Amino acid sequence: MKQATILEVRDLVKRYDNKAVVDGISFDVKKGEIFGILGPNGAGKTTTLEMLETLRPIDGGSAHLDGVDVSSRSDAIKAMIGVQPQTPSFEEKTKLTELIEFFSAAYGEKVNAMEFLRSVQLEEKANSYPEQLSGGQRQRFSIAAALVHGPKVFFLDEPTTGLDPQARRNLWDLIREVRDRGVTVIMTTHYMDEAELLCDRVAVMDAGKIIALDTPKNLIKALLKKGFKKDQHVEQANLEDVFIDLTGKALRD
Amino acid sequence: MPKALLPIITFVKIDIRRLFRDRLAMFFTFVFPLLFLFVFGGIFGRNSSVSFNVALINHSKTEFAKGFVAQADKDKVLKINKEVTTLSAAEEKMSRGELDAAIVLPADFGEQSTKGYPAGKAEVIYNKNSEQAGQTLASVLQSVFDGINAKYVPVEKPFSVTAKSTAKQGLTQFDYVFAGLLGFSLMGAGIFGPTSVFPKLKERGVLRRYRTTTLKVWQYFVGNAISNVIVGLLSITTMLAVGITVFHLNMRGNWLLLVGVIALSALMLFGIGLAVGGWARNERQAAPLAQIITFPMMFLTGAFFPRFLMPEWLQGITTYLPLTPVIDSARLIITEGRGFVELLPQVGLIAGWCVVVYLIAFRVFRWE
Repeated sequence: MKQATILEVRDLVKRYDNKAVVDGISFDVKKGEIFGILGPNGAGKTTTLEMLETLRPIDGGSAHLDGVDVSSRSDAIKAMIGVQPQTPSFEEKTKLTELIEFFSAAYGEKVNAMEFLRSVQLEEKANSYPEQLSGGQRQRFSIAAALVHGPKVFFLDEPTTGLDPQARRNLWDLIREVRDRGVTVIMTTHYMDEAELLCDRVAVMDAGKIIALDTPKNLIKALLKKGFKKDQHVEQANLEDVFIDLTGKALRD
Repeated sequence: MPKALLPIITFVKIDIRRLFRDRLAMFFTFVFPLLFLFVFGGIFGRNSSVSFNVALINHSKTEFAKGFVAQADKDKVLKINKEVTTLSAAEEKMSRGELDAAIVLPADFGEQSTKGYPAGKAEVIYNKNSEQAGQTLASVLQSVFDGINAKYVPVEKPFSVTAKSTAKQGLTQFDYVFAGLLGFSLMGAGIFGPTSVFPKLKERGVLRRYRTTTLKVWQYFVGNAISNVIVGLLSITTMLAVGITVFHLNMRGNWLLLVGVIALSALMLFGIGLAVGGWARNERQAAPLAQIITFPMMFLTGAFFPRFLMPEWLQGITTYLPLTPVIDSARLIITEGRGFVELLPQVGLIAGWCVVVYLIAFRVFRWE
């Protein structure tokens, strides 16, 4: 299956004080996939995302989103992307419906706010304020708010950090749903289980460079080919399976 | 409706609703200015009469002295502290500012003189610090004695003085002070509001999130400015309502003109807050800068102290401070009923500042 490319990144560079935080990375993202950028803290994941989101100037190389140059046409790019920041924060004392209304108005559009809240199971919270939501609810709301204008690409920065196992699983389902609606998802994470389960392809970053890029399955295969052996003791279940078995999959917020 | 206006109108609607849900913001918008109004209304609202706290020390046993003491006790200008009976006690109280002066009647006060009528010399003793009160009291007493003297020694007085107030139609001191309070409260809302709100929104990443949308800085500015002007007008309306009903404020000018000037002033002052709050990355940067800008204006623009009391060079400079034309034009409309054409210099100055502060605000604005 040959998919069209939606994002083309070539030799992308970001420097702070003459130090390359992102050091000439290149990759393509295909239309309709979930693309993960993995790496330890400080690897340059968030900076890469922020350059693609037009929040940081690009110091070198290029990025084209659906053929549009990211560094020179930020307005056209902004209209095409949805952004989920690391810690979503909204103005207080504002109803969720009003926030949805405002975000869609920011794109010059009017939408049915309830419909968007329903899509992330927050219908009954329509009149609540964001500060009254739990961490998982806030992440879900933030996703709804990021998709009000029907973007082509959805960026998420470490979306499940700090969430409980139920909320994480729920968010994974939600991200898959977004992908199934035809939106390309680009996300960063430092949870390997999350990347393995959720991402179609991953790029592994370290010290500003991409050191591997493939599907999770192929990356594991390649490692095994090199003769890698884990301590041979096959577990049928791990503690997380126990936790989910004991507490159930139902959302707790 | 043009697409560009949709974010602005939506923002204004939501922003005003947000204010009414926020008790703290409601307090600072509507209650806080009224507190000032009541404090200053309490000081200037009643009929201001001058009085002196004095000790009356009588060393004389004459009938005339007794009569004088009884008469002085009824006088409204003199508030006699009866506990003080010695000069040393009076001096101690004067040094602490509890008494303005002491009136001393010497032992021979009111004794029959050789000419057949009572005579004497009262002394007014005052602390160096309250020289003015002492001098005034001395001349008050002199005029009392003049009245008494006239009974014993008839004199003709070809020249005399009477004092008349120029105020027509009962202009009170409160009417004058009100414009200062109005400007002060507009400045508080316009500058302290955004300089505390914007840095907070930045620190929490709220503005950063807006930046990822197609929302433009000018749309965000206009939305904020409109909502702030509407709220400012509501706040001033409550001040005016209380001023008129409780303190009998006399409004002589045109209401529409006053509303227009207040709206323009609120817009301009909010621009200052927007420039500071929009520039600052956090509250540690915003708060001191806001203080540096507002503090001098509080004292130099006639909000609390009349500018004509300042040295001339200072008056010259302070004429051009942003808040000065705001207070001046409000005062001229309220107390003198001036029209738009007469206010052109002030209105022009406010409009000029408006252009300047919004240009600065645009240049220095940061989303995070």
